[in-house]
Amino acid sequence: METPLVLHAERLTKRYGRRTALTDCDLMIPRGHVVGLVGPNGAGKSTLLQLACGLLAPTAGTLSVLGSRPAANAAHLARVGFVAQDTPVYASFSIADHLRMGAWLNPSWDPALAKRRIAEVGLDPAQKAGRLSGGQRAQLALAIAAAKRPELLIFDEPAAALDPLARKGFMRGLVEFVGELGASAVLSSHLLSDVEQVCDYLVVLCDSRIQIAGPVRDLLASHHRIAGDPARMAAAVEVIWAERGRALVRGDAAARDGAAARDAEPVTLEELVLAYMSRAAGAGAVPRASAAVAR
Amino acid sequence: MIRMSLRQFRIQALVGAFLLVLAAIYLVRLGGDIRAVRDTSQLPSQYGQTMLFLAAGFGLVPALVGAFWGAPLIARELETGTHRLVWNQSVPRRRWLAVKLTVLGLASMAVAGTLSALLTWAAVPVDQVAGDRFSAILFGARGVAPIGYAVFGFTLGAVTGLLVRRTLPAMAMVFLAVIAVQVAVPNLLRPNYMPAERVTVSMSADTINQARALGSITGGPVVKGVEIPDAWVTNTSRLLTPDGRQLSDAAFNECFNNAPKTGATGRFGDTAVCLGKLDLHVDMAYQPNGRFWPFQWIELALHLGISALLAAVGLWRVQRRVS
Repeated sequence: METPLVLHAERLTKRYGRRTALTDCDLMIPRGHVVGLVGPNGAGKSTLLQLACGLLAPTAGTLSVLGSRPAANAAHLARVGFVAQDTPVYASFSIADHLRMGAWLNPSWDPALAKRRIAEVGLDPAQKAGRLSGGQRAQLALAIAAAKRPELLIFDEPAAALDPLARKGFMRGLVEFVGELGASAVLSSHLLSDVEQVCDYLVVLCDSRIQIAGPVRDLLASHHRIAGDPARMAAAVEVIWAERGRALVRGDAAARDGAAARDAEPVTLEELVLAYMSRAAGAGAVPRASAAVAR
Repeated sequence: MIRMSLRQFRIQALVGAFLLVLAAIYLVRLGGDIRAVRDTSQLPSQYGQTMLFLAAGFGLVPALVGAFWGAPLIARELETGTHRLVWNQSVPRRRWLAVKLTVLGLASMAVAGTLSALLTWAAVPVDQVAGDRFSAILFGARGVAPIGYAVFGFTLGAVTGLLVRRTLPAMAMVFLAVIAVQVAVPNLLRPNYMPAERVTVSMSADTINQARALGSITGGPVVKGVEIPDAWVTNTSRLLTPDGRQLSDAAFNECFNNAPKTGATGRFGDTAVCLGKLDLHVDMAYQPNGRFWPFQWIELALHLGISALLAAVGLWRVQRRVS
């Protein structure tokens, strides 16, 4: 009865007027992962996630989430939790009001979960949401999204505006919820450290296109850093990015058997992402890709 | 979703209820005062101005409802980004909007209905004597028509907020637009709800002296404010000569400026006598007072219909593209 795919995009394209935010994206993400969506600012991450929760409609192509059109109906809305960028809340509502709202608007609402979470992060239910700090607001938004017990949680740059401590607390909460609910999660970020900590599946989005997607373990196994001239490498090896006599290449077996086999070294996730971003930037797109990846 | 709508509406509802209570107290006392007047023939002269003033103020109700209840309803969500929170709860966007429109639309109707009922009641003795509740201004402050205005103002406000996406500009636009509609409907639409009755009235010196004004700023043989008993005059032609042509400006100005002195004492004195001798007439269109209630229901239906169309636009729009 259940489709194994959390997200399934086919030639997904979104344009805002003349600006293209997503171009022909194909994506098949299975269930059970915490997916990190990384890329420089303006790459289209937020667009992809807003398409996934139905806040936007695609210009062309299709996207299905948990097997149906995003936000298709009330039942489908209940299966997807979304924490929007900047974690909007109602300033005039207290935290308790927000939990009440959650109960009113979600048949699957878990009041105990919401209350426990609010207590755990030390929030006062009587406090007005307009007076919360960014970190507290994010925790509230997370609690609301999680307490409807969705199968998929989507986070759009949830921690971008938070200080390191608040970010750490938020990320911990996120991981706990995903575990407790048995949910899948998709999380966009331009902060690689967040993604490295919590994600086991990676999607790199640059210049409105998907550069690479896959389980982190597989990606790390299939990419290597090699010293030497890329031109002399085996044909089966795809050079992702080369500079100063070193190259990051893709191709598992080939790298070991090739001429440069002795020098093949494992890569870190950061190197891998930077290589794809640099390649996308070098291909005539925004040359600020690597600068935007802050650690 | 109903409870959510009510919760978000709480402060505006309290302010509205407070103002409603103030207005209700005033109207009840006014009704009492009016009924305390012994000589009812004095009522129009005593309370006629108050009635006009109240009717004009009443015209602000739909504009206020539209600006303060309608315009922020969706615009504020879009402005603060909270639509991204609420649209990701398990309530489809269309239902979200439909419930909000219904709850606040009903509240608007209740407010306007209460005010109109009280004002209509308070004014009964004055209206009975003056017989002018069908006139362009008073009509909109009696009966069921104000309910339609309020719903229209609210729906226009909500949908404008959805399209404009910013609260303050939407509020200002809606306020002005509703007032413009309030002016346009009595002058352009209402006279045509039913075919007007027509009559030719000869302009004797006496008839002219009963008019409110002669001439106009732009010149021309105009007579204003000629009344027909038990009817709302919707159109009066210019002064016409016996052969049906318009009286020339020269002849009109001659009477207006250089009428022969006769010692006449009417409102327009010698001018009236001078014009009266020319055997003039005007063609008038009017709606008999018996059509007051049919017109009330037509006006209500018209505004409800436009509101339904606006709501449909909003429901279509909210699903299509926002955010």
